[in-house]
Amino acid sequence: MILVTTIVEAVNLKKTYMLGKVPVNALQGVNLKVESGDFLAVLGPSGSGKSTLLNLIGALDKPTEGKMLIEGVDISTLNDNQLADLRRRIGFVFQFFNLIPRFTARENIELSMSIADVSRAERRKQAEDLLETVGLKERMNHKPAELSGGEQQRVAIARALANNPRFLLMDEPTGNIDSKTAKDIIGLVKRLNEEKGVTIIMVTHDQRLATQAKRAVQMFDGVITREIVN
Amino acid sequence: MKPRDVFSYSFSAIRLRKLRAGLTTLGVVIGIAAIVALLSITQGLQDTITVQLQTGFATDTLIVSPGGGFGLGAEGAMGTAGSGFKLFVNDTQTINEIENVTMSIAIIQKVGYIRFGETVRTATIVGVEFANYTNIYSSTFVAESGDIPLNPENETVVVGKRVSDPWKNGTLFCDVNDSVEIIWPNATARPPRNETYTSHVAAVLKEIGGFGVGGPSDSSVYISLSKAQSFFGTDECDMIIVKLKNDDKATIDSVSEAIKEAFSNEASVMSATAVLNILSSVFSIITLFLGGIAAISLLVAGIGIMNIMIVSLMERTREIGILKALGMKSRTVLLVFLSESVIIGLIGATIGIASGWVLANVVSVAFASFSGGGPFMGNQAAGTSRMTITPVLTPTVFLGALSFGVGVSVIFALYPAWRASKLKPVEALRYE
Repeated sequence: MILVTTIVEAVNLKKTYMLGKVPVNALQGVNLKVESGDFLAVLGPSGSGKSTLLNLIGALDKPTEGKMLIEGVDISTLNDNQLADLRRRIGFVFQFFNLIPRFTARENIELSMSIADVSRAERRKQAEDLLETVGLKERMNHKPAELSGGEQQRVAIARALANNPRFLLMDEPTGNIDSKTAKDIIGLVKRLNEEKGVTIIMVTHDQRLATQAKRAVQMFDGVITREIVN
Repeated sequence: MKPRDVFSYSFSAIRLRKLRAGLTTLGVVIGIAAIVALLSITQGLQDTITVQLQTGFATDTLIVSPGGGFGLGAEGAMGTAGSGFKLFVNDTQTINEIENVTMSIAIIQKVGYIRFGETVRTATIVGVEFANYTNIYSSTFVAESGDIPLNPENETVVVGKRVSDPWKNGTLFCDVNDSVEIIWPNATARPPRNETYTSHVAAVLKEIGGFGVGGPSDSSVYISLSKAQSFFGTDECDMIIVKLKNDDKATIDSVSEAIKEAFSNEASVMSATAVLNILSSVFSIITLFLGGIAAISLLVAGIGIMNIMIVSLMERTREIGILKALGMKSRTVLLVFLSESVIIGLIGATIGIASGWVLANVVSVAFASFSGGGPFMGNQAAGTSRMTITPVLTPTVFLGALSFGVGVSVIFALYPAWRASKLKPVEALRYE
């Protein structure tokens, strides 16, 4: 029996930021719980607050009000260093891949591990294993510019998995690649979730993609309006 | 992140922008090269002058001259300005009575000419007691050919190497046993006239080198003191050389004081140590001044580094966002940027030191060929020995330049690095 624990919990989460001199209430009381092994899609049109929610779940930002708990720890109580430590346990996958252009696929994955003080030998081995997992071992010495969008995103997923994260946090992971490749990527993500038990939180505006997740929440104007269990 | 990883990350960032990093480094190279070149040449010059002074100026001697002042000139025109105090040949008797004085000798010297055949050359005519002078300057006042006359009544002359062989090519102006005419333009006579007498060259001195403060010089013509007194028509001497029993500081100080007292504080007493001290302080000022000028160019390089770092910071905002999202601490971001500047500083300083050293050597070679054996600090009437400056790179200058190069790079990178470390991950990631 797998022990299910709560990994992410948002309690009445509010976030207001200033757009010039105009305050924008991006989140207006979000309540959300994600448990280990979950695959959650966060749906919503642009401006619905899903990116803001993602930033808070990723400990990239702090809430204005309410609580954002990651493994039971309120991120508002953490200082910069502690937040950085926390982020090492989160695997980020971005819409624009965000690989370091001057590094090869393998080096990009190793970078994430070197930040976490993993030894050189261990880094290399693990990077190669991860590239094998995402099916890119033979392309490991290629730089991002020499890889297709789909390949870059797979490298990004491998990088996100590098430090054995508690969960993967994906921001429109297929937003910048063609639909066929997108399908492959989603297939890979599903497999990671189902076979390796990786917890996944994916932000997307693509309804079809959401159907691949175990459940989805719909956001609108800074609140969750609907929850769908697939 | 481990230090080695921080460095290799920074290095990869530098390598990506080779031209820009190269130009930034060039700024440091130029600054450091200027500092190293100027300082090592100055150091070389100081060493050369010190050695030359020590050659021509025995450490166990004092030079007493009338009137205050530095009185480095061996020209005859010693500083007699001021109180009108004069030293006379028989003042040596007063000095000889002072404790710790072995002997003292008076020197009369004037700028005159020496004629051999149809050729006339300028020379410093120095009247000395040959026996005592030989005794004091036993290592420098040595005959290469002929014999130095020891009889004080002797009227023959001893000439320096550069008087005999002024062109340094073996074409002699005069040699031992040649008959020469000594000419002194007597400006005090009414009407002014040239005093002359004909004599024989008894000896040619070995080449001495150095400046010969008080001591023998290559461009002088030596005649006996008694002849000088009658020829110049005066008993007034230009300096008295005092030989001490030893060169202890205490001896030098006590004898100096005693001499000053004996002449009612009107005579100036100079020791080799004092001259070297003065020179050393003069050189410290020169070093500081030149170093300061060179340092300005390094500051300019520093501003260049800052500029480039700020541009780099803007270009890499997104990268910093990624690093922070991957869990890099602000402190590590700061270190990444600082180590870039350390690398630039280190490479720049190393190349700078090497090229500064090469530059210093090129300058010294050029200087040696330009000076062509001519007088550099011309205190000798006719051609002196060729002076060469060997640049000296002291460990202090080496390490100082290295740390200064790295230091300036780091200081100017502090602000951009601090700004980079303070970037908020959300905003940095959003940066286009």
